[in-house]
Amino acid sequence: MKFNKYWLPVLFMLSLAACDKELDLDPAQSISEDLALSTDANVKSVLLGAYDGLALDGMFGGNTMRDAELMGADGEIRWVGTFEGPRFVFFHQQIANNFEAENMWVDAYYTINICNNVLDALDVVNEADRAQVEGEARWIRAMAYFQLVRFYGQAYEPGGNNSQLGVPIVLRPTRQIDEASFVTRNTVEETYAQILDDLTKAKTLLPEENGVQANKHMAAATLARVYLQMGRYADARDNASEVIESGAYQLVSDYAAEWNNDDNSSEDIYAVQVSSQDFLESTLVVYYSIPAFGGRDGDIEILQKHLDLYDPNDARLAFHYEGAGAMRTGKWRDQYRNQPVIRLAEMYLIRAECNVRLGTSVGAPVDDDYNATHTRAGLPAASGVTLDDILLERRLELAHEGHRLHDIKRLKGSADGLNWDDNKLLYPIPAREIEANPKLQQNPGY
Amino acid sequence: MKRLLLTLVIALTAVVAFAQRNVTGRVTDRASGEALIGATITVKGGNTGAITDTDGNFAITVPNDEAVLLVAYTGYESAEVAVGAQSRVDVMLDAGSTLVDEVVVIGYGKQIKSTLTGNVAKIGGENLKSMPVVSVEQAMQGQAAGVFVESVNGKVGGAMRVRVRGVGSINAGTEPLYVIDGIPIAKDARNTSGAPLNPIADLNFNDIESIEVLKDASAKAIYGARGSNGVVIITTKSGKSGRPRIELDVQGGASMPTGKREFLNAAEYIELFTEAANNSDDIDGLPYDDPDSWTEFTLGRFSRYSGFNDSWMEKVDRTDWQEEALRTGSVFNSNLSFSGGNDKVRYYASGNWGNTEGILVSNDLEKMGGRLNLDFDATSRLKVGVNLNLARTLTHQVSNDNAFSTPMQLVALSPITPKRDENGELYDRPVTIYYNGLIDVEDGSREVFTFRTIANVYGDYSFTEHLGLRVEGAGNFYNVRDDAKFGERTDNGNDSRGYGYSAFAGATDWNTNAVLHWDRDFDRHALGFDLGTELFTSEYTRTYVEGEQFPSDDFKTLEAAASITDATSTLTNYSFLSYFGRARYNFDRKYLVNISGRVDGSSRFGKDNRYAFFPAASAGWVLSEEDFLKNNSTLSFLKLRASWGVSGNADIGNFLSLGLFQAGNYNGNSTLNPEQIANPGLTWERSTETDFGIDFGLFKNRLTGEIDYYIKNTTDLLLEVPVPATSGFSTQFQNIGELQNKGIEFTLNSNNFVGKFSWTTSFNIAANKNEVKSLASGQTLIDDGSNTNVVKVGEPIGVFYGPDYAGVDPENGDALWYVNETDDNGNIINPGATTNTYDEANFVVLGSPLPDVIYGLDNTLSYAGVTLNFRFQGQAGNEIQNGAGNFMSCGACWFDNQTRDQLDRWQQAGDITDVPEARLGYGNGEQVRSSRYLSDGSYLRLKNVTLAYDFPSKIFGKTGLRDLRIYVTGTNLLTFTKYEGWDPEVTTDFLASNIIYGVDFYAAPQPKTIVAGFRVGF
Repeated sequence: MKFNKYWLPVLFMLSLAACDKELDLDPAQSISEDLALSTDANVKSVLLGAYDGLALDGMFGGNTMRDAELMGADGEIRWVGTFEGPRFVFFHQQIANNFEAENMWVDAYYTINICNNVLDALDVVNEADRAQVEGEARWIRAMAYFQLVRFYGQAYEPGGNNSQLGVPIVLRPTRQIDEASFVTRNTVEETYAQILDDLTKAKTLLPEENGVQANKHMAAATLARVYLQMGRYADARDNASEVIESGAYQLVSDYAAEWNNDDNSSEDIYAVQVSSQDFLESTLVVYYSIPAFGGRDGDIEILQKHLDLYDPNDARLAFHYEGAGAMRTGKWRDQYRNQPVIRLAEMYLIRAECNVRLGTSVGAPVDDDYNATHTRAGLPAASGVTLDDILLERRLELAHEGHRLHDIKRLKGSADGLNWDDNKLLYPIPAREIEANPKLQQNPGY
Repeated sequence: MKRLLLTLVIALTAVVAFAQRNVTGRVTDRASGEALIGATITVKGGNTGAITDTDGNFAITVPNDEAVLLVAYTGYESAEVAVGAQSRVDVMLDAGSTLVDEVVVIGYGKQIKSTLTGNVAKIGGENLKSMPVVSVEQAMQGQAAGVFVESVNGKVGGAMRVRVRGVGSINAGTEPLYVIDGIPIAKDARNTSGAPLNPIADLNFNDIESIEVLKDASAKAIYGARGSNGVVIITTKSGKSGRPRIELDVQGGASMPTGKREFLNAAEYIELFTEAANNSDDIDGLPYDDPDSWTEFTLGRFSRYSGFNDSWMEKVDRTDWQEEALRTGSVFNSNLSFSGGNDKVRYYASGNWGNTEGILVSNDLEKMGGRLNLDFDATSRLKVGVNLNLARTLTHQVSNDNAFSTPMQLVALSPITPKRDENGELYDRPVTIYYNGLIDVEDGSREVFTFRTIANVYGDYSFTEHLGLRVEGAGNFYNVRDDAKFGERTDNGNDSRGYGYSAFAGATDWNTNAVLHWDRDFDRHALGFDLGTELFTSEYTRTYVEGEQFPSDDFKTLEAAASITDATSTLTNYSFLSYFGRARYNFDRKYLVNISGRVDGSSRFGKDNRYAFFPAASAGWVLSEEDFLKNNSTLSFLKLRASWGVSGNADIGNFLSLGLFQAGNYNGNSTLNPEQIANPGLTWERSTETDFGIDFGLFKNRLTGEIDYYIKNTTDLLLEVPVPATSGFSTQFQNIGELQNKGIEFTLNSNNFVGKFSWTTSFNIAANKNEVKSLASGQTLIDDGSNTNVVKVGEPIGVFYGPDYAGVDPENGDALWYVNETDDNGNIINPGATTNTYDEANFVVLGSPLPDVIYGLDNTLSYAGVTLNFRFQGQAGNEIQNGAGNFMSCGACWFDNQTRDQLDRWQQAGDITDVPEARLGYGNGEQVRSSRYLSDGSYLRLKNVTLAYDFPSKIFGKTGLRDLRIYVTGTNLLTFTKYEGWDPEVTTDFLASNIIYGVDFYAAPQPKTIVAGFRVGF
């Protein structure tokens, strides 16, 4: 059996050269970016992912709305939770590594990059849908930039040159990290210009009707919001009026019926879509609600100072409830319900405010717009409504919805003794971001 | 390929061949004539070995009549015996020599220790036996120089961390490679959710023959790509020819926490919080009785925490919540083994069952397993064998340390809060400050079943007396079933009428390797070659279902859930393909040289950067074989060693080189979401290590030792580099940066007394210095913002970095920090300057969580059948952070119960203290990221004490009994430390990572265990 001695080692040596292909593995639950951006259907799925991005907790999933209320609390609400991020925001002690500031920045630019990818891949979208897809991506991008510029940049000053620092404007998709990835901050003026550019284009590109996704009216409503923040009252009024007069939305008759819905109400213009089948949840419910309804421990309490603002007969006062030892808002009570972000009531109030400021009555008399929400709350119709009346009505109607801080800045008010332009009413540029990109300039005071 | 190799194994068994032969014999003590159990016998110049059984008998295959047997036994002088034509060789040994000539297992083979050129630490099975701990790593603690072992907390079945020669990577894996009976075991954390499960926890360590830790580059380079963090080789027992042997080991005992913390009692709680509220009112300028004052608010809270009544005014302790979280645990282990064999077949079979009730309520673990090891000499040329390990473990897990439901977080609840209401129901919020975790104990359960099978088949064929081929094929099948159900009162289930999930994860690893080995002695030259290939593939799948809305708490499975809220399945996989070669040469066992090289490819890297080459070389010089030392009466053994080599690390996630989108959903429609940004150039992380060592033996090797110095540079770190988030991504894996570990290891083994009274001592100590040399271009710091541990260039990985706490301003009670402002050169401008504004304090390095020194000291004394073994183990030079200091030690900043040290707070001008004025809501120095919450983490621990009595064999007569031992063992009985928390061996489970060490966050203390047991052999 001499042969026996050698054939096995020979076979063995041959086997050494065998199986390189064992190393060729493809992921089973992800696809390459090329594939994701190469077909009409895939690009539309990527676009839908941008809505998911907009609904992240660091965006309209709730935290940025919560923090606009906490920063502008002024004794009307109290943070009693144990999470440090919001606690430091509430006590105006946030520092450069504040988690909330980082979370929003990361979530916003994540969403913006998706929009940029979609806008870059428009040529693979069916021609018939191309305008709509572009319009939706632009609307989402504008929503992200508007939220960013209000939290990280000093307030827009009507008539000023607004050369104060806004946020970096990135309009191209990132496929690799290179020199171009190390961006600098644009001014507030430039950031608003970009927002307006996206929104005005979106308004012309978008259809009238588009389910719960962006349509022409959503773009107009967002424009009304942005113009109001900029103090461009005529533009704000006209856009708000356009939305109201389109007839696409109706106020619900009962204030309470606007909240805790599975589907958008007739009043919702943009609402984050939440269901139990989704990872997404409204973090407003998490923090404003109580364990019995799926909240945390009732981290935000509504204080007497806020409740005192209401007329005792106001249905919106009655919409608060007592739970877990404190007063709560009924708006963010139930888990897994849609979370309204822009609703028709806000349009009435914008139109009323602008009309009274400009001495006009575009669309409807001021009193009528005011009474639209005022009487719905079970209060008698008013006449001779003043600017102060409207601002109070706005504060009550839109309470706990993430408007407070931005209104304080717009109206040059104060919160907790801090002037509207105090640095502590801004988020810092996240510490991690400045470490990753030393070209970014920090906000003063951090 | 794996099929081909398996075919080869089968083919080998069919080959018929001739002519080596077996030699049997017995090894005894020359003085007493008693059998020496466990002596090693090897064929000189070859790589086969045998070990004597309990009667001192051995059987070994020798190639020819010229063969020389080397016989070694701990504490005795080794002997060389020429076999000649004999078929039976009896050997008598003289007391006095020691470990130098024992056989150690190295990668893909065995070697006599005196001819080693690399650094291999061996832990014998005797040192592991009968320890009442759950996993092998715990038993290894303190037993090998330079091997750091940590249980992250005291939960049963919790994760273990093992670091060989320091932390070797920042973002890739840092655990060593485990090789069980020649088969590398994937160490991926294969749990389904929650805290990581220990990958080798299922091994029954009564089955372990020995553990070898390959530490230096030349020893581990044969594992190339996967060896950079060291290699732990575990060899299980095999049968020995001779009369069948049955051994039964049964033990039982109790365990309790190593430490407790002191918290405020009811009177102190009320006093401190009232004071804190008053202080905050002073800040706001509010009278204490103003309805909106902090004081009124606090009085309201007292009544709420009492169950909405005024019972708090009695200042009586209602509940000691720490006592509710902790309990006296229990341990029971039993192990039964059969072994034996004849000339052709040897077997070892065992079964074990154990139950450990942890010291945390509702945390326990039951394990059951079996092993069968068979070795079969099919022909004189062919050996085949099977190792089969089956294990089932059932763990009742508790939540991670950061969950409100974890038992240890009960300590946050107020002492004025009764446990139950008048109806006997557990109180929950709003009466409790947080969720009452005891509800989880009553109405929730989380059971994790793991089933593991490791099956391994080998064939070893000798073509000639010099040339052989060993082929192994193995499967590692790991399944985890994780079922949880929480009732409608629990935190998870209270908004959804109950909540449950069921997860099933399975991992299947295939490993095949083939090694051609050739050894030959030419006169005084010994030469050997190995050439091999290995393929490893791993696939992991998981399915997960989650549901809500149960008709009642009595339903335990999701079948009863009215609403299925999540259901998913996942799959991921990876593979390695390797070719390797090794050559060794020695002249007269005096001059030793070893060279190896390995090429590895991994699916994890970019297609063009898959393969890498890992070379190593080493040399040794046995000076004691030289004429000028040969008969030196004092210095009996002296060897110098030097080695150099490169090893790799690919222990990262799968597919990280690709730009990927993943699926998501929004409003019921599927979406595509960006997942990661591409890096096509991604490749291996490389460690280059140089080692110099001295092995010595004195006084006929009664005193032996090793000294090693090593320096290990890890380059091309697989680093998760933070990128500007404006790109849409936060991080990207890049090969960038450099990390260094260098250190000294010293091991000493001494037979202080030999003979009737024997006393042996082993001591090991290792100092390691870790330094991050560089990171990404321009990057000097990795700081995740929320934790104090950072990666900073010029410092050890994971250093604590933040404001340096400067105590309390005696004038106003404000917390102070050092400003530490630096000039452009980095020098501190005004060293003593302090500030009461946290933001104004600059960050400085506050200390390292990694020990400078780790050590172990083991002593065994025996006389007339009584054996006392005690082992100390410890570490020094590290810091621990109380990561929950901002909750439990924050001067009543919120309503969590406080540690008693907070009573030392500042109260009036002139008070000198470290604890600032108490301020509710506002807080005062409560930022957790500061040196205020750091303390010295050095400790010395009496890790293990065993007192045993072996009955003399003469009393057994003809009962069939061979030996009988009764014993008492204690672990963690004494701990000496300055750390004020529960236990200094800690890293909270939800944070534990390469960067985060030494952070305590309601981590369960280690158990202190005492068991009594017996071992009987037939």
